[in-house]
Amino acid sequence: MHTFILRRFFFLTFVLFGVSVLLFGILMTFSPERRAAAYVTTPQQAKDIPRIIKQFGLDDPFYIQYVRWIKEVSRGNLGWSLVAARPVGEAFWRYFPITLEMNLYAAPIVIFLGIWLGSISGIHRDSWIDHSTRIFAIIGWSLPTFLFALVLLMVFYGYFHLFSPGVLSDELAMSIINHPEQYTAYTGMLTIDGLLNGRPDIALNALHHLVLPITTYVIVVVALNMRVMRSGIIEELSKDYVLTARAKGADRRTIHYKHARRNALLPVITVAGQLVAMSMEGSIAVEVVYNRQGIGWWLAESATQLDMPVLMCICLFMGLVFVVTNLTIDILYATIDPRIRLN
Amino acid sequence: MTALLQTENLVTNFYTYEGVVRALNGISLVVDYGSTFGLVGESGCGKSVAVRSMMRIIQEPGRVEGGKVVVFFDPDNQQRGVDLLQQSEAYLEHLRGDQISMIFQEPNAALNPIMSIGDQVAESFLFHKRKEMCARVLEALRRPDGPSASPLGAFQRHLYARAARNPRDLLVTLTTKIPLLKHWQRRLKKEALRRSIEIIGKLGIPNPDKVVKLYPHNLSGGMKQRIVIAIALACSPLLLIADEATSNLDVTIQAQILDLLRSLKQTEIASILLITHDLGVVAETCDRVGVMYAGNLCEVADVGDLFHDPRHPYTRALLAAVPRFHQEGPLLSIEGAVPNLVDPPAGCRFHPRCPEARDICRRQFPETVDMGGDHTVACYLYTDQARAGDAP
Amino acid sequence: MANAHPRLRELTYTLYRIFRNPSAIIGFTLLLFFVGVAVLAPVLAPPKYAHNPYQMPHKGFSPTPKAPNEKAIFGTTSGQYDIYYGVVWGTRTAFKIGLFVVIISGFVGVGLGAISGYYGGWIDEFLMRVTDIMWAIPTLVLAMAIVVAFGRGLDKVMIALALIQWRWYVRVTRSEILTLRDQEFVQAARIMGVSDLKIILRHILPNAIYPVLIMASMDMGSMVITASFMSFVGLGSPKGYADWGQMVALARNYIVGPPDDPLRFWYTIAIPGACIILFVLAWNLIGDALRDAFDPKLRRR
Repeated sequence: MHTFILRRFFFLTFVLFGVSVLLFGILMTFSPERRAAAYVTTPQQAKDIPRIIKQFGLDDPFYIQYVRWIKEVSRGNLGWSLVAARPVGEAFWRYFPITLEMNLYAAPIVIFLGIWLGSISGIHRDSWIDHSTRIFAIIGWSLPTFLFALVLLMVFYGYFHLFSPGVLSDELAMSIINHPEQYTAYTGMLTIDGLLNGRPDIALNALHHLVLPITTYVIVVVALNMRVMRSGIIEELSKDYVLTARAKGADRRTIHYKHARRNALLPVITVAGQLVAMSMEGSIAVEVVYNRQGIGWWLAESATQLDMPVLMCICLFMGLVFVVTNLTIDILYATIDPRIRLN
Repeated sequence: MTALLQTENLVTNFYTYEGVVRALNGISLVVDYGSTFGLVGESGCGKSVAVRSMMRIIQEPGRVEGGKVVVFFDPDNQQRGVDLLQQSEAYLEHLRGDQISMIFQEPNAALNPIMSIGDQVAESFLFHKRKEMCARVLEALRRPDGPSASPLGAFQRHLYARAARNPRDLLVTLTTKIPLLKHWQRRLKKEALRRSIEIIGKLGIPNPDKVVKLYPHNLSGGMKQRIVIAIALACSPLLLIADEATSNLDVTIQAQILDLLRSLKQTEIASILLITHDLGVVAETCDRVGVMYAGNLCEVADVGDLFHDPRHPYTRALLAAVPRFHQEGPLLSIEGAVPNLVDPPAGCRFHPRCPEARDICRRQFPETVDMGGDHTVACYLYTDQARAGDAP
Repeated sequence: MANAHPRLRELTYTLYRIFRNPSAIIGFTLLLFFVGVAVLAPVLAPPKYAHNPYQMPHKGFSPTPKAPNEKAIFGTTSGQYDIYYGVVWGTRTAFKIGLFVVIISGFVGVGLGAISGYYGGWIDEFLMRVTDIMWAIPTLVLAMAIVVAFGRGLDKVMIALALIQWRWYVRVTRSEILTLRDQEFVQAARIMGVSDLKIILRHILPNAIYPVLIMASMDMGSMVITASFMSFVGLGSPKGYADWGQMVALARNYIVGPPDDPLRFWYTIAIPGACIILFVLAWNLIGDALRDAFDPKLRRR
């Protein structure tokens, strides 16, 4: 077990290294002049570009530049963000809580809803309930997140005036800005900070602003989970141990929920990595459309302004997320599946 | 002889894309108290379908469509049988594993891979012996050195008392579904595990208290089959159905398992219904034998009778195909293959391969003929119609 | 039928399974419709600029969309671009994106996966580690990084997606081939001295191709979604290009109309939006039907 985890850990460190090389390779397709522009913050400095190239060694061989870059990155220096008008590292921590908050609310819904719908769909295979959940899944799967978000905004903001874009209503946002001494950003997540600061109105308002983004995101993402769970249940129910359980006198509930479902959860855990990737992609679209200034929004804005350091930072962050998720999946898998636990 | 299980005209069909597979075409047999009944035939002839139909655990797209499966729970009263095909699913859940249980061909697949051995065996007790076990736990709780008289202890005692009276009590069922509260069942589960260890030990597995903590992949095939048997035997059923239980095991393990079954029949269970394609196993273990071909029962007889005086041409061919120690001449095989059951041959299903087929065999299905001495056969060779001039 | 060649029987059975499924019928009908529109685009909407038919014609520059009328049956979007023209030629754009990405990444991925799975050893090890690295970053994020490095444009988006998406095909093909490699018929071919290339092409790939087909079908849809999102944020096709994502971007500021009629400009988003959804739905329905038809666990019942 420990050697297994350790082996995975080494492998994932290697992946992270590979990701950084890959990203740096992409960065190096820029000419030295374009990369030098990243260090320019004021128009006056523009004429210094040849000096900057020399100073930072931007025309050195790949590996020298890579080592220099990785040294900087490990010291937390990721460059300058045009969109945020501050260093990338600092800007990251400003945007990250917004995205994290949304994902923290959406993830449990996606996981439990997907498992639940997938189970009933697989158990009652070919019944109307199965057909309707499958139709729901395939439509959700076919909806482009950004388009669905726009339509929801059009209906629920434009027509019904029920929800609005952004993260907080203007009045509350102004009240925070006008009285900074009364509000401390402990976590950066408004629903939590609101409560910590004794401002339930802020927390509630932020939650209200989360309804549409989470709905969009859940409907688009939940299909994957559901589909894997459904086919898992169908497969498990056809196995011999189910017959043993029936011959033992087990009732349907026990067979479905105690025997088949636990086994069917294993493939669901393996797609968790894909789920995390999908939720990042979903976050970008949702944040762009609903104007929530999280890292997805930041990424899209920076991409349109060709702001490479931000893209590098987020790609590296995604690599890190990938590593952490996979390690978690491995550990989770090993705790559920005894066949791995002892090997 | 007193019957334990009797099937009459059992019919099971599978509805597939290729058409309706007529897997069972009216099977009638009787398993007596205290006997071992062997069901033999080539693979695909419907032996497994037959026993699964009896227990009503046929999987989609199969359906039991006719006949009777009558169980006589009281050997002294042959009038009061219960037709399983008329009972509710809940009744059968009650019966399976308690009165009739089953072991399967493939021990590697028959156990849930992510549940410990102990839990899987204990399930049998938890399904069927709840009342008894609750009473036992209650006894232990009431002893003076039991847990203190805290309100929680009293609540626990109360629940066990209710469960011992009626395991389907509303309060009891309710509390087993609520997280945290459901932990009152801890002692019950412990009791079930204790019983599991006991039964596993009885089946000759060393260190049963360690084995219960293991998972199926830790055990060898023979061990797993013993565990499957332990699950089936947990509640001392009347009838044990063994569906090719030894076919996938090494010869030595096979012998051990057969010995085990034989000795169990003397102590734990009343009767065994043994399904196999191995005539050697039949000769060694069974009292009575039924020979199946393509969804039909061709011949039923006592084991000695069948081996010395086989009547049905298929039985004869089957026996001729068994290699013998003092083999003289070539081993005979049966020409042709088992027919496709979507479109079975008209009349007797064996006629295309039968050396003695007559005209009537192609047209009409033969009636079962009583040859005397509890020997029945379904073949026109022995009917009056055939003798009356319908020459081969 | 019962006596036909086994491959033919299997094919008939597969087709039966596919077309028994209502989702396949809906999917193929939708797809047929889109293929028709794409093929007949020059007839349905004669281009105004012969040298660049993908450029949407526009009358005037007013940012306010105009409702459907006789001149523009689907109305005009912001900038007075004709929506009808845009969705017709946008169908071609969608096929262009999907086919380019799927064919390139499919060939590369299946080729690499076949080599990796069949030969194993250090080639396999190397290729798998490279794909592992590719897996670490979500498609959209990596595609954005590549597009930023290469510069904006629909062609760059297509190249970026093709550069990323092959990882799926490698994984699918390799795992299929690993199970096939050691089966008797492959061993038999090897003993008879059939060359490796022939074994892969003749015996292994035909048996491994179904998951790839399912994958490709689903990918046609998801690549169009990704590309249209990139056009939506302004990384893909330029303004006025007949591309559904681009048209949604033009409509973005008009999702909410004046207070007395909040849904006034519904057509600007609903029409190109419906095109994207139906196009993706068609491919997903087909992929789903293929998955059901080819799933060995569900197949024979």
